[in-house]
Amino acid sequence: MHSNDAQMLVLTVLADGPLHGYAINVAIEELTGRKLGPGSLYGALSRLEARGLIAPAGEAVESPERHRTMRITDTGRDTLRAELEQMARVSRAGLRALGSSPA
Amino acid sequence: MRAAASTLVTGLYPPAIRDRWGAEISRQVAETGLRSWPDTVAGAVRLWLHPSDWPETFPGQTRRVLSIALAAVAAVTALLLRATPPSAFLTADPHRPVTSLWLVPILLAAAVAVPVPPHLADLRRLLLRLALDAVRTLAAPAAAVTAMVLIARSGAVHDATGRASPVLVAYYWGTLALTARRLCALAARVVHTIPAAPTRRLRASLLLLGTGLALAAAQNLPAAQDPTSVASTLALATLAAATLHTARDLVTTA
Repeated sequence: MHSNDAQMLVLTVLADGPLHGYAINVAIEELTGRKLGPGSLYGALSRLEARGLIAPAGEAVESPERHRTMRITDTGRDTLRAELEQMARVSRAGLRALGSSPA
Repeated sequence: MRAAASTLVTGLYPPAIRDRWGAEISRQVAETGLRSWPDTVAGAVRLWLHPSDWPETFPGQTRRVLSIALAAVAAVTALLLRATPPSAFLTADPHRPVTSLWLVPILLAAAVAVPVPPHLADLRRLLLRLALDAVRTLAAPAAAVTAMVLIARSGAVHDATGRASPVLVAYYWGTLALTARRLCALAARVVHTIPAAPTRRLRASLLLLGTGLALAAAQNLPAAQDPTSVASTLALATLAAATLHTARDLVTTA
């Protein structure tokens, strides 16, 4: 995964709590300033679900509007934490090389 | 109109994704309009190339869908080859067996992907059921082909002038497309009745099919002088690349 990867963004916003597809995209827009296209968003959701990193959130699966609410799994949290820690290391090294101190 | 278009675009996605997200994808495409189409279509293509990314609605769904996709690729290949002008490099010729080289891996691919019933004791009942399915599914294309043969024998094709000629050509291609579509439907019924081949065999089948398609494209390169031949060669090469890419994805997950 890369920092700008759709899967990474989905995991990041789901770490805050369960959301359905449209709400996930709204949260991503708040985080990055732009929404993902439907192909990127639902492709990422499918990949993450197939790998067991996210799962349907209980009874909310079948809402009247057929929204599927998803939650991050424990494996998803571990994966996200590992990715963010690696990104933080890279970020610190990059900023040090540039002569700036991390905020 | 917009809702129909969004449903059409959503229909491009693999079944497991449509089952889960189809309604939401349609809604978002309908809301966003044309500007979301490129990303939506690209997302569908990416997912077809990566079957390991499909969550399963029921066990064996990915294998079942891949088996039907194999039949669809074979059907599209047959239509493409029919559209390709005859050439000394690709058209099967008993006097030059090398022209049929591409066909060998494709036939092997079909053989490798054939599902085998888990209990041979049920074989007779299964075969009877499949025969009934085949009759039901192929009745319409069989009737269309029979009508086509009767029209051809009546001499109407040679005498056709004006508007009749394009109508006959359209009927011919419509019949071929219907036959291809119904053969895919039959493949779907077969893997509904008998469990699809295991992932390892499907992967081998995809590799063989991709190899056959790549060989067909390579063999047809010297004949690709006119736009039709160039287009069909490119289409064969694209299908080969897609099939081999999908097989590679299965390698990483099998």
